[in-house]
Amino acid sequence: MSFRNEPTLELRRAPARQSLLAALDALDARLPLSVPVLVGGGRGRVEGIESTDPGRPSRLVARAGGGTSEDALAAVEAARRGFRDWGRRPASERAEVLRAGAAGLRERRLELAALQVRECAKPWAEADADVCEAIDFLEYYAQGAAELESGPELVQAPGERNLMRHAPRGVVAVIPPWNFPLAIPTGMTAAALAAGNAAVLKPAEQSPASALMLIEVLHAAGVPADALALVPGLGDAGAALVRHPGVHVIAFTGSSRVGLEIVRTAAQTPDEQGHVKRVVAEMGGKNCAIVDEDADLDDAVPALLRSAFAYAGQKCSAVSRVLCHEAVAGTLIERLAGATEALIVGQAEDFATQVPPLIEQEAQERVSGYSHLAAEHGRLVVQRDEPPGEGWFAAPTIAADLPRDSPVLHEEIFGPLLAVDVVADIEAACDAVDALPLALTGGLFSRNPATVERVIARSPVGNLYINRATTGAMVGRQPFGGNRRSGIGSKAGGPGYLLQFTEPRVVTENTVRHGLVVE
Amino acid sequence: MSVQVDFEAEIRRVGQALADAMPTHARNPLEAVDRKAMELAERDERLQAALLRLVDVTPACRSLEDLAGHLKGYLDEVGERPPSLDAAMRAAHTKAGRVALGAAATAGVRHMAHRFIVGESPRDALRAIERSWAEGIGTSLDLLGEATVTQAEADRYAERCADAIATLARAAAHWPERPALERDSLGPIPRTNLSVKVTALTPLIRPEAPHVGREDAARRLRPLLRAAREARAHLHVDMESVDALETTEDLFFSLLEEDEFRAGPSAGIVLQAYLRESPVQLERILDRARRAQREVALVVRLVKGAYWDHEVVEARQQGWRPPVFESKADCDRNYERLTRRLLDARPLVRLLIASHNLRSISHAIALNRLSGGEDRDLELQVLRGLGDDLARALARSGLRVRTYAPVGDLMAGMAYLVRRLLENTANESFLHDWRGGAPLEELLAPP
Repeated sequence: MSFRNEPTLELRRAPARQSLLAALDALDARLPLSVPVLVGGGRGRVEGIESTDPGRPSRLVARAGGGTSEDALAAVEAARRGFRDWGRRPASERAEVLRAGAAGLRERRLELAALQVRECAKPWAEADADVCEAIDFLEYYAQGAAELESGPELVQAPGERNLMRHAPRGVVAVIPPWNFPLAIPTGMTAAALAAGNAAVLKPAEQSPASALMLIEVLHAAGVPADALALVPGLGDAGAALVRHPGVHVIAFTGSSRVGLEIVRTAAQTPDEQGHVKRVVAEMGGKNCAIVDEDADLDDAVPALLRSAFAYAGQKCSAVSRVLCHEAVAGTLIERLAGATEALIVGQAEDFATQVPPLIEQEAQERVSGYSHLAAEHGRLVVQRDEPPGEGWFAAPTIAADLPRDSPVLHEEIFGPLLAVDVVADIEAACDAVDALPLALTGGLFSRNPATVERVIARSPVGNLYINRATTGAMVGRQPFGGNRRSGIGSKAGGPGYLLQFTEPRVVTENTVRHGLVVE
Repeated sequence: MSVQVDFEAEIRRVGQALADAMPTHARNPLEAVDRKAMELAERDERLQAALLRLVDVTPACRSLEDLAGHLKGYLDEVGERPPSLDAAMRAAHTKAGRVALGAAATAGVRHMAHRFIVGESPRDALRAIERSWAEGIGTSLDLLGEATVTQAEADRYAERCADAIATLARAAAHWPERPALERDSLGPIPRTNLSVKVTALTPLIRPEAPHVGREDAARRLRPLLRAAREARAHLHVDMESVDALETTEDLFFSLLEEDEFRAGPSAGIVLQAYLRESPVQLERILDRARRAQREVALVVRLVKGAYWDHEVVEARQQGWRPPVFESKADCDRNYERLTRRLLDARPLVRLLIASHNLRSISHAIALNRLSGGEDRDLELQVLRGLGDDLARALARSGLRVRTYAPVGDLMAGMAYLVRRLLENTANESFLHDWRGGAPLEELLAPP
């Protein structure tokens, strides 16, 4: 495959930074944005939801339509119509449209990054990387769709012709989270469209404006209005889509709680529904990094810091538990603590910021709850002052000496809290990882090839990173997705992902007439 | 045209004279123990990788047996092993064998480290520094340490720097006079010379926010500049990867532009010729030096640059154009262009040519002479362990030469050592060709 990732901006160069700040100024002048319900080319309501700046909650970023169950029904009806045309277009034509979409995102990349800074408090480097990932998804799945159309090679016997085709399934409900406000919606939508389905996108209520820009770009690139609808809204709009008998595939990324609820609902097959729904779900993680006694702590400390605290730990791939060999635990904890104290907590728009505010008040309360638990059950190694000013900040925290049954060691926290758990050896670390029901990402810091091999063999996780940070998966390079209760289906940005949005059809033609092969 | 021919002839004359002044064993400057390892390593890339990984992990190993286990793991990944290494692999099957193998490997790594690292502390290094001084070779100390990730680590590094300045200055007061090392046509040159790394002075190096690291490092560099001024020492700020370039340059000039440093100390910065942007950077440096209106000349150390692999890998992973020249000839040509520009920029600057490339060195010396300069107005620098013979040849020829000498414990020195080993075994390195017996004529040809 000749795929190449979209280059990120070289932010170590001043002109690149200045161009982003100028884009932010231009965006600020346009706030608040209006995000309507967009179904079948018609603009619906723009009232109901308000998305605000997590770093300054008094700043309104967007007013979005509070999509209702009726809006969801209308969107699915439109999508069924849209599917009839879009699904019949040759894959090469669909791929061209998606590539035009990628070009559209490229053109607006500064504005899109700026919007993430405001709407989701995503620091610049990560906002820019998110835009690049969105572009990558469009390019990668466009290429994948064209390759999929020729179908796999089947065994051919004399007198018969065997073909396998991947047909689109129909209508896909796309339900993404807010933490990768452009990349994840783009990835799931692009896969659905590339395979020939129509899509209804129900963005997270925290990031409707990023979704709107995506829809605008894709419509402008040539995706028919009927084949792609936008239904901003709260949970009930999403639930209506999941229940709808006209929906064939539900592509979801988000919490385990909602994901499992979707799996249960989608399993229902009411009489009027002529198919079994398929769920593609990426859910939470409780990601551990193992630090062996021979690890290079000069590298491990910055990598752990990045894995745990970048974007305030609000990535499903973030590390929240370090399993450290007892021989280096003292040094590691001391250096991690000192490095955590040096982290810069601040507003996302400041290029210096490493730990921005959390997405919303509820998140702040949840993280604070886990910090209290950690203090109660164990010890807080670093306790930083709360950052001044408004915004949903949470101070980066390191906890240690926790009992093995502490929820801090088992539950997904999704915030800047890292627990260090000391183990006697690598086997014990692998046992601890193996005991977790979540298996999304994992990390290992070791310089012993034998240890690396052993940990690879024992790791249940979907993505294992060795001697580097556990975040920042790249399309095509690190296809991403979890195992066990962290996800179902194959990996986003990897070979095979598109297959989930298709149904295979095998055709066998008898080519014998009157005893002669007539091929 | 004839001027050009004369110039090339002069470069060849200078290079030939330097080659003649090298000690006779200089064609193979590596000493017996590591020579064997290096020769093996140069033949096989995977073997080279195994050797580097061994050097890298040695300080983190808790026992000889543990080290042998790592060594076996690295060698397992080498396809065709020379017979001596196969024997080592067999030894790793028993505990006694592993201990013996671990001991041999440790001794090897330690020996190699001692070649590059002058001592555990500045005090420790004094004897070697004074021996060099007696031979007419100056020293710039570089303090090795683990990466700075906390404020406490940055503080400790700054303390070590202050201690190094004091220790060296105290000792230097008693050194015999060496006029070639102590004065050029602009005036006196400090005996005490320390190189510092900005990434060690702050844990806040952020490529996308250079001001953060600059402000934090300034808190520690300012007292060091004062200490250098009081001790009449030279302070040289090293250049590292591009990620720290803007921070380093801004820090350096923002401090030197302060009134209190107008009259001193002598201070220097580095220009990396492998950077495509280096000509632009040089003009910026000259401009800032002019505006600072200091009473002492700015010292510029011209190097090829030691982070080539890092820069290329990072750029490729990000989809960026590598910031470095990717061919050796382009880099060498740029080095010569920058040399010329820097020589022309005197007396605003003092130029240091830090290179092991006989062509680059001869070019600078010849150009200086042909443009009417004096030999003492050019300083040559080499790395301890790699350029020792070259330093002696330069000193014998009456040129001003200084050795860049790292100080620190073995543990902390590994990252440095690995980088130096990479440089030394690179197929494109001058030393590689020189040891390989390439004819002098070829080595001195224009790039």
